[in-house]
Amino acid sequence: MSATELATARPLLVPEPLRREIEAFLYLEARLADESRYAEWEKLVADDMHYWVPKGAADYDPAERLSYINDNRPRLATRIRQLMTGVRHAQTPPSPMRRIVSNIEVLAIDDVAGTYTVGSNFVLYELAVQSGATLRVWPGRVTHRLRRVGGELRMSQKIVELVTATAPQWNMAFLI
Amino acid sequence: MSTPYAALILEDRVHGSLYTDTQVFADEMDRIFRRGWVFVGHDSEIPKSGDWVTRQVGRESVIMVRDRGGAIHVLANRCAHRGNRLCWRERGNGNSFQCIYHGWTFGLDGSLRAVSHKAGFDRDRAEMPLDRAGQVGLHRGFVFANMSGDAGTLADHLGAGGRDLIDRLCDLSPTGNIRLSAGWIGHRVESNWKMWPESDSDGYHLDFVHASMLRAQPDNYYHDTVIGGESANVSRAVDHGRGHTELDLRPSYSRELAWLGVGRDRVGAYCDALEARHGKARAERLLWDGPPHGFIFPNLFLGEVNIARIDPLDVGSMVHAHTVIQLEDVDDALNRRLLRQSEAALGPASFIVPDDAIIAERMQLGFQGLRPPASGSSASGGWIDLSRGRAREQRQPDGTRVGHVSDETTNRAFWHHYRHVMESRA
Ligand code: FES
Ligand SMILES: [Fe+2]
Repeated sequence: MSATELATARPLLVPEPLRREIEAFLYLEARLADESRYAEWEKLVADDMHYWVPKGAADYDPAERLSYINDNRPRLATRIRQLMTGVRHAQTPPSPMRRIVSNIEVLAIDDVAGTYTVGSNFVLYELAVQSGATLRVWPGRVTHRLRRVGGELRMSQKIVELVTATAPQWNMAFLI
Repeated sequence: MSTPYAALILEDRVHGSLYTDTQVFADEMDRIFRRGWVFVGHDSEIPKSGDWVTRQVGRESVIMVRDRGGAIHVLANRCAHRGNRLCWRERGNGNSFQCIYHGWTFGLDGSLRAVSHKAGFDRDRAEMPLDRAGQVGLHRGFVFANMSGDAGTLADHLGAGGRDLIDRLCDLSPTGNIRLSAGWIGHRVESNWKMWPESDSDGYHLDFVHASMLRAQPDNYYHDTVIGGESANVSRAVDHGRGHTELDLRPSYSRELAWLGVGRDRVGAYCDALEARHGKARAERLLWDGPPHGFIFPNLFLGEVNIARIDPLDVGSMVHAHTVIQLEDVDDALNRRLLRQSEAALGPASFIVPDDAIIAERMQLGFQGLRPPASGSSASGGWIDLSRGRAREQRQPDGTRVGHVSDETTNRAFWHHYRHVMESRA
């Protein structure tokens, strides 16, 4: 499904246990990111992960235009390796963060691939303790693609469309 | 009271209040960013007639636009009637600019073409064009402007050193032309703008500030070119004059294409194309040397395959905006590789520059509360030491000054020119 189709998709009604499982995944992913628990967060990632924070809406080919983040699995592994060195100064110490995740909708189910495409809104509060200790607010929308790996949900895609995505961004060295 | 720049900028140290004093910032916006040459953009960003992008020159919003004849204009983004901002998007295309306040219409060259309800308007339209840069100049597609119009020639401003930096970059494209088509990423930093001409050309900080990147990316070319021990490293810090500086990494590359992180087997067609243009010997040289790492005063950073511009916002806040070069007549795969390389290096979520941004912000915090010392007194606090490598740097026959890559030759070069500009345009 294209980004535009997804944007107009009517949410799917899914059986309650599945809905709860998807919600639980999103909340866990958010909490691990908030608490900078990098290794545990990485365990939620599938081998074919695409982690994309576009400049503006996710309506362009990231191979042709720059993005804030456009990680395939190896690039994401490097990102996490860097964060775990303990000397990633832009996140040393890690920013205290909390994000509110809401408006969770299952937008598409692909039975053949076994994937769920899930949209949600978030507001992330970050205290940039590494420099001026200012509170920064990062609102946006996430489109996750989830897949079952060995019975457990994993994410193979996380697209983060920031409300402020066309404007200059402060340091974004944490997991957004 | 006017700021005593000569007392605050010595050859081997400068005073921290230069980064926090609002009067200094106001002076800079006038003397450096309005009355001097400033990088604005690249002609490949506006390939067709009517294409425009919005930029800032100093604190002024401008429109860089291509007219029907192909000429490039840098116009104030401010209606000549009562000052409404004309363009508020990043880019666009059109035949004219119409102001939505009272509907005045301006041509692509800034001339006033039509006034609505014109019976009540008794001025001559020819007297009312948009304000515009007094001078616009191009070098290899890089567009520079100055608003005042009395900054001398662009060729003089760039000098042989500045031109050579740009030439070495563009010569890496098989057509000799690069394209800036990948869009700009803005990185907001709560620091004075001068942290960046200093840090972008500082070869002394990598193993500390970028330790995490170096550990996470053991194959990064900075290991060979800027790290590796003071005596073993043969990269050079270069003062090209007029505030233009370079970390010359060429002597340290241990193989061709190290800067691209691949071997000839992966980019054979590209190597052949360069050879067809430049001949074998020069192509081999280019492929070995790669793009330069230099800073062109006051706001253009050439960071290997990246281009960054410094947009000051106020005395303690700025944007480090970057894009990546795209080469002409090469496989898409090569340009995509450049893009991926750029995303790893620059921008708010990249592996390198966020750590520089933290340093810049902490320096800015460190300079809070400093007052310029009483005249003649260098005993009071708040000074920044830039003496490193003074004894071993050497003036070359071509007029450049060259030190070890870790020396503060580049910082001294920036401040030397800064002081000259701030005093001579007082
Ligand atoms: S301000 Fe632009 S037409 Fe009046
Ligand atoms: Fe750096």
